Amino acid sequence: MRPGTASPGVLRTTWLTLFSHYRRHPGQLAMLLLGLWVASALWSGVQAINASARDSYARAETLFSASLDSVTRRDNQPLSLVTYLSLRRAGEPVSPLVEGDLTLSDGTSLRVIGIDPLTLPGESGLARQQSDAASLRDWILPPHRARIAPENADAARADSRLPPLEADPSLPPGTLVTDIGVAQRLLGVETLSRLVVAPEQSLALPPTLVRQSAAALASPGQLTDSFHLNLTAMGLLALIVGLFIVHAALGLALEQRLGMLRTLRALGVPGHTLIIAMALELLLIGLLGAVLGIVSGVVLARLLLPDVAASLDALYDTDVASHLSLPWYYWLGGLAVTLGGLFSAGFGMLWRAARLDILALGKAQAWRARLHRQLRLQAGAGTVLLGVALWLGWRLDHQPNPQELALGFAMVAALLLGASLWLPPLLAGSLGLLSRRLRSHPRLQWALADLQLQLPRLQLPMMALLLALSANLGVGSMVGGFRLTFLDWLDQRLLADMYVRPPEAQYTDVAAWLEGQDEVQALLEARHAEAPRLDAEGQTTGRTLALFGITPAPIMRQSWPLLDTATGHEAAWQALDAGDGAFINEQLAHRDGLAPGDPLHLRSPQGPVMLTVAAIYPDYGNPRGEAVLSASHLTEKFAATPGSLGVVLRPGSRDVAGLQAALRERFGLGGDAVVDQGAVKRTATEIFERTFAITQALNALTLAVAGLALLTTLLAQAGARRAQLAPLWALGVSRRQLIGLQLGQLVSAATGTAVLAIPLGIGLAWALVAVINVAAFGWRLPLHIFPSQIAMTIVLAIFVAALATLLPAWRLWRVPPRQLLQEFAAI
Amino acid sequence: MLQLTNLTKTYPTPQGPLHVLDGVDLQLAPGESLALMGESGSGKSTLLHLAAGLDTPDRGDVIFEGQSIASLSEPRRAELRRQRLGLVFQQFHLVPSLSVADNLTLQARLAGREDTDWAQYLLARLGLAGLNDRYPEQLSGGQQQRLAIGRALAAKPRLLLADEPTGNLDEAAADQVLDLLRELIEESRCALLMVTHSARVATPLDRCLHLQRGRLAEADP
Ligand SMILES: Nc1ncnc2c1ncn2[C@@H]1O[C@H](COP(=O)(O)OP(=O)(O)OP(=O)(O)O)[C@@H](O)[C@H]1O
Ligand SMILES: [Mg+2]
Repeated sequence: MRPGTASPGVLRTTWLTLFSHYRRHPGQLAMLLLGLWVASALWSGVQAINASARDSYARAETLFSASLDSVTRRDNQPLSLVTYLSLRRAGEPVSPLVEGDLTLSDGTSLRVIGIDPLTLPGESGLARQQSDAASLRDWILPPHRARIAPENADAARADSRLPPLEADPSLPPGTLVTDIGVAQRLLGVETLSRLVVAPEQSLALPPTLVRQSAAALASPGQLTDSFHLNLTAMGLLALIVGLFIVHAALGLALEQRLGMLRTLRALGVPGHTLIIAMALELLLIGLLGAVLGIVSGVVLARLLLPDVAASLDALYDTDVASHLSLPWYYWLGGLAVTLGGLFSAGFGMLWRAARLDILALGKAQAWRARLHRQLRLQAGAGTVLLGVALWLGWRLDHQPNPQELALGFAMVAALLLGASLWLPPLLAGSLGLLSRRLRSHPRLQWALADLQLQLPRLQLPMMALLLALSANLGVGSMVGGFRLTFLDWLDQRLLADMYVRPPEAQYTDVAAWLEGQDEVQALLEARHAEAPRLDAEGQTTGRTLALFGITPAPIMRQSWPLLDTATGHEAAWQALDAGDGAFINEQLAHRDGLAPGDPLHLRSPQGPVMLTVAAIYPDYGNPRGEAVLSASHLTEKFAATPGSLGVVLRPGSRDVAGLQAALRERFGLGGDAVVDQGAVKRTATEIFERTFAITQALNALTLAVAGLALLTTLLAQAGARRAQLAPLWALGVSRRQLIGLQLGQLVSAATGTAVLAIPLGIGLAWALVAVINVAAFGWRLPLHIFPSQIAMTIVLAIFVAALATLLPAWRLWRVPPRQLLQEFAAI
Repeated sequence: MLQLTNLTKTYPTPQGPLHVLDGVDLQLAPGESLALMGESGSGKSTLLHLAAGLDTPDRGDVIFEGQSIASLSEPRRAELRRQRLGLVFQQFHLVPSLSVADNLTLQARLAGREDTDWAQYLLARLGLAGLNDRYPEQLSGGQQQRLAIGRALAAKPRLLLADEPTGNLDEAAADQVLDLLRELIEESRCALLMVTHSARVATPLDRCLHLQRGRLAEADP
């Protein structure tokens, strides 16, 4: 052993001595663990959801259907084998595909895909797997083979209808791939769902068939990125708020152990041994907290995932496994983030412990004397950060930027951090001001002065409370505003009382019959098509635009919402009616920088078409860019297939059920072919509520974490507080009054925090609707401020503060007077 | 074994520099016991802190068993305190979260020479037997002081630096503790440098020095 190096025995004894503090104050250890646990549980829960969803997307993208163009009939009816064979005979390199849903004996629903491995284009993920001759033979000949996602393998093996199964981890959850003949038998069909072809192959198709490019179907990964980004941001907020607890608890643990540190140093423990022992202690606590947190985070994710999966499916039509599958690096990452957070919170503690010299150790008051300097520093740093946030906000509002989303989040981070740095100086300033005013009320003045003394300890939990309250208000305003706008918009868009989608053969008959009905006021025809985008020189851009045909009937003109037009609403509608104008949705305008009056170049079956952007309309919740033409022009120029018919009934005769019955009787239309407006609205609203349920749940959890931070601090300092209160008690203030005093102090500090949280929350709401949302989804929401939510913020703050005071107050109440006296003597 | 040469210490104060020690010289032989007296605020604790290497002098040197403390690195100084010095502080500085028994053996364990029999013997001799499982705040002031002495002696130091170890004891108890101290010191040939206000306590020791205006002078107790 090198002389001067401390032996392992010294380290061990030092460590045991340090830890004896927690043995005597298990509450502090519990709080520390709780903070770590909650922080890492929320964070890792959110990450588990993201990781699991990403895994599902990655698998969906490797599936052949995502990379191949498909050929379908214009009228969306299934294809016959004859059509396929005649194409093959003409030398077209198409391959048949059968798709359908199969319900297994245990109720699981599987997506069955039948392929023909002999003709399937070679590059696709599935074709590769049947490359060797033996497996190809097994595949084609009875009893055949099927590949299935591992998640569903057990359920599928129990079903006797299925051929021998092989689990294939590259398949998306809920997918079974088998030979086309087997699939047809399983699904009970003789037709083909579609044909697929490699994107680079050109085809000569008869007019009844259309080709749809794989590129037009955006990959689910891109579409859902912003959704996951929002989740990650919420998880990060929870992590930060949780780390506030940890920071507060560690600071207190250090302050209370300063005397012990000094004694150990005086008894001959070298400074670095002390630091190593404290770092070891942190590591141990951190590992325990992280493991607890990650495990419960996974439980949390398991609870939330079905909801997330359902809303992702509804929003973006993506399949996400409703149970978790986590890669190994997820666990490591969770551990690293929690430990990293712990050490960043503990670094300050270690640094202070390392720097203090022996004789100065234990003089906690010396730190408190530095409070004023620290407050000035905080105010300075806060001002800089707020300035950065303002500047970023101004820039993002005035000029578009490719890094919009990242900059938007940077702005939100700077705003939140800057404001929370300002909180302690503001609280200290207003306390000082008040206590000077209240000279004539000695008890109040004492309470204020005493609160000022507690500020160094209370500032972190108060900052956490500020963050949680303003996030609550900001997200609440956004969701509330979204709900208002969205429902309003839904009302404007869903003009018709009923939507009918007849098969192509019956289309004109149904339309004519409906036209002839007395109660029908207007028939709004809607059609879909897509067309490749061209640049100004007429060259292909490789992008496809979805086109939507509407009927510009008077009722439509009155209520269809427009955000911006070139020369007024009337002119825009005339341009649409005339066929040279198109409306584009906000997403397309934002992504491509299009404004009213700009040209839009498309390729139609008859050649290049140039349209003028006549107006921009809001299209909430749609992930894709889209353009609107009049239905008649869409049919004429782009050979759009018949879509749905919106039936607007005359006011007074709202007999939707009667009309539905008539359609069923006369044309055999039922089920999905006739939908009433109420059902559409219900579905849309349901999707909406479910999507935001997760955000709101995380929000509420964050608030709970902030309350916990406050409770931690109050409990941890309860002993010291009692020693400070004991003299007052000895001087004749009753315990009831002491408790009232403490409650008053906390509630007023929390109210002050809530008052700052209101402008911050509104700022956050603005950032969310006007910057983050635009960057992530391409549409902007109007900012709504709800007085009820502001009132709620203040009530929540008071509630959290009161709740956090309750336990320490109860303990003070139970302390026998004799013990108070002893604590008095110990000062 | 302990030699202080020309030791000088000045504290900055709002009223200008305060010269607490102004060229202090002192020699202490192995096994010798020395009483350090002086008015309150004369710098006795400061001198003890310097001798223990807890603080550094502005000028002068502390030489312990032939080694200059100023030349030692911080870890070496810590090792010296751990292995060869015993400290009794004026404010005890017990560890509040350790029991009486654990507090008593703390330095011995740090020095890697815990001796259970010796610890039990000390507890009994210091009148702390039966209080093993109590915590410091559950002891009286005098009991805490005796525990602080026990902690220093349990590690069998070569030099005991004690800052008013009998300040909180009544005369009878002080005499008892003092007798014990002398007995134990003689047993282990440990040197003693003890700060005291009481002539009664100083008398039985080998020598007595008086600290006055920053300087030491031989004195009668
Ligand atoms: N950190 C410091 N900064 C400034 N002055 C100090 C500091 N520590 C001690 N002093 C001053 O130095 C002088 C000597 O202090 P010291 O504690 O050594 O006195 P003492 O002789 O031990 O007194 P007592 O008998 O009361 O314990 C005192 O006047 C004290 O005020
Ligand atoms: Mg002193």
